[in-house]
Amino acid sequence: MALLEVQNLKKYFKTPRGILHAVDDVTFSLEEGKTLGVVGESGCGKSTLGRTILHLLDSTGGKIFFKGEDITVVSRNKLGELREDMQIIFQDPFSSLNPRFSVSQTIREPLELRGRLSKAEMEEEVDRLMEVVGLAPRLRNSYPHELDGGRRQRIGIARALALKPKFIVCDEPVSALDVSIQAQILNLMLDLQEKNGLTYMFVTHDLSVVKYISDEIAVMYLGQMVEKCESDRLFERPIHPYTQALLSAIPIPDIHAQNKRILLKGEITSPINPKPGCRFAARCAYATEKCREPQELREWEPGHFVACCRAEEVSA
Amino acid sequence: MSGESLISVKDLVVEYTSGEDVVHAVNGVSFELNAGETLGLVGETGAGKTTIAKSILGILPDPPAKIRGGEIFMDGKNMLKLSQKEMRKVRGNKIAMIFQDPMTALNPMFVVGDQIAEVIRLHEKISKAGAAKKSMELLEMVGIPGERGREYPHQFSGGMKQRVVIAMALACNPQVLLADEPTTALDVTIQAQVLEMMMRLRDQRGTSMLMITHDLGIVAEVCDKVAVIYAGEIVEMGTKEHIFDFTSHPYTEGLFGSLPNLNTKTKRLKPIPGMMPNPSSLPAGCKFHPRCPYATEACKTETVPLFETEPGHLVRCLRRDPRQVR
Repeated sequence: MALLEVQNLKKYFKTPRGILHAVDDVTFSLEEGKTLGVVGESGCGKSTLGRTILHLLDSTGGKIFFKGEDITVVSRNKLGELREDMQIIFQDPFSSLNPRFSVSQTIREPLELRGRLSKAEMEEEVDRLMEVVGLAPRLRNSYPHELDGGRRQRIGIARALALKPKFIVCDEPVSALDVSIQAQILNLMLDLQEKNGLTYMFVTHDLSVVKYISDEIAVMYLGQMVEKCESDRLFERPIHPYTQALLSAIPIPDIHAQNKRILLKGEITSPINPKPGCRFAARCAYATEKCREPQELREWEPGHFVACCRAEEVSA
Repeated sequence: MSGESLISVKDLVVEYTSGEDVVHAVNGVSFELNAGETLGLVGETGAGKTTIAKSILGILPDPPAKIRGGEIFMDGKNMLKLSQKEMRKVRGNKIAMIFQDPMTALNPMFVVGDQIAEVIRLHEKISKAGAAKKSMELLEMVGIPGERGREYPHQFSGGMKQRVVIAMALACNPQVLLADEPTTALDVTIQAQVLEMMMRLRDQRGTSMLMITHDLGIVAEVCDKVAVIYAGEIVEMGTKEHIFDFTSHPYTEGLFGSLPNLNTKTKRLKPIPGMMPNPSSLPAGCKFHPRCPYATEACKTETVPLFETEPGHLVRCLRRDPRQVR
């Protein structure tokens, strides 16, 4: 059984100009110990998806099964219990830490809230967590403002690990970091996953990072999942026209790379009151009349899902 | 493509003072930007890239910043010696800058057309109507319908705002464009559009460009020459081929090792250990030695000059010292 199963998840926001479809009918499942990368551009709903799955935001519709229980309907107490196994690491290591909490206080807080350990045990556990994420013991009483972005992100990771979760939503955890520090944090996250059998949902706009860390990748466009398949395959054989354009847009740090770039016209359209058809159609070179009808995420080849009625023509 | 030297920076030293601390932001940087050429300044946060660009444009906030030494020549004139009035004629006219964040580079209180026209009227003798017409043409040039010049910045998306900023920078046909992470705030598909447009306009007008970025992918795409900056010093400089195919400095190597590669399957990245040094107490010797896998005793004490390993390829590393066999 999959650790996480999301069915037809919807998250709408009411705005003065209409209903904003941030997450629209997203379905997927995630096996224990695996990493699902969720990619897309700003405003595509990837962060909202992560937060809705953790029930930090109430969903508008659909079901979220975590360890077999639908967390959209369980009681508050039960949700609290399930939450121990689901954690989040935020993008911004500056605003996601309490500036008045020292490193040890921040990491200790979840342990205190659970109240299962004695004071001495908690201190021991804080020391252990700091070691696990590579924070020197001398930083125990430091405050976030005294530390650089990489170290701050390590605090965020230690805090997320405190309750020994099974599943962690990583919301752009390395986007705010310099490349050399980014590589350190990515390696740390992979080590932790190997050791503890963690399951990650890795939300990012950085496609090279997502390829490196994910088993499977889901591409989102305007609240919908347009393609999902095994990570290497997505880069070798992208089907959806949006995925193709997205992948071709990445600047490659190799001066001999032959990159045929697909330049998209226009920009992401508004997710407010979207029309029923394919949301990418307005920018798509392959768009036809048929694209005005709702698109279904279908299994195009085993394990490779695409929401494009013209996949056959596009891939030919 | 390259011609004579347009801007030449010699031994630039910039410090920031905050209280007791002196932050050594730029420590003796020299480079030349030739006509029609694009030079990439690559480095991580705090390396001093933006400070270099601001020094060229004479817009460093003083205090806390102070230019402690060096010269910046353009057209045979030392720009550090120009008066504010003379500098104002250069700024926006001969040299223009594109900032990283298009949201804060535009004035939210004025329609974008007027903001572009303002630049033109500052530097050219032109009627109000003429400037307005020209600002519309500039908008069209960057792919925005001219009539949208009557709209305010908040009515544009991030990518379009950056286009407006670029239109403004190009308004007076500058010889040099300083682009400070111009696409970092944008999504990849929009970044691709904006970069493509910048390169097209650069080639049409023969503008020289200083491209500040942390993204080696962008460097590979737009730059002719590259200078890699670490802790306020150029650690490696050369043509794009030198840097990508004959990577010589351990820091440059580290930068490449830190990047997930899209074409090959890497199991683990090879990050650079440790952190950037604190710029108010830089290590002695080679500033990279605490993080360098090849560091020797000599690296901890000796001041390392730039060695020319090949014509045009400069490397600040003792391992490249031709006098020593290591």
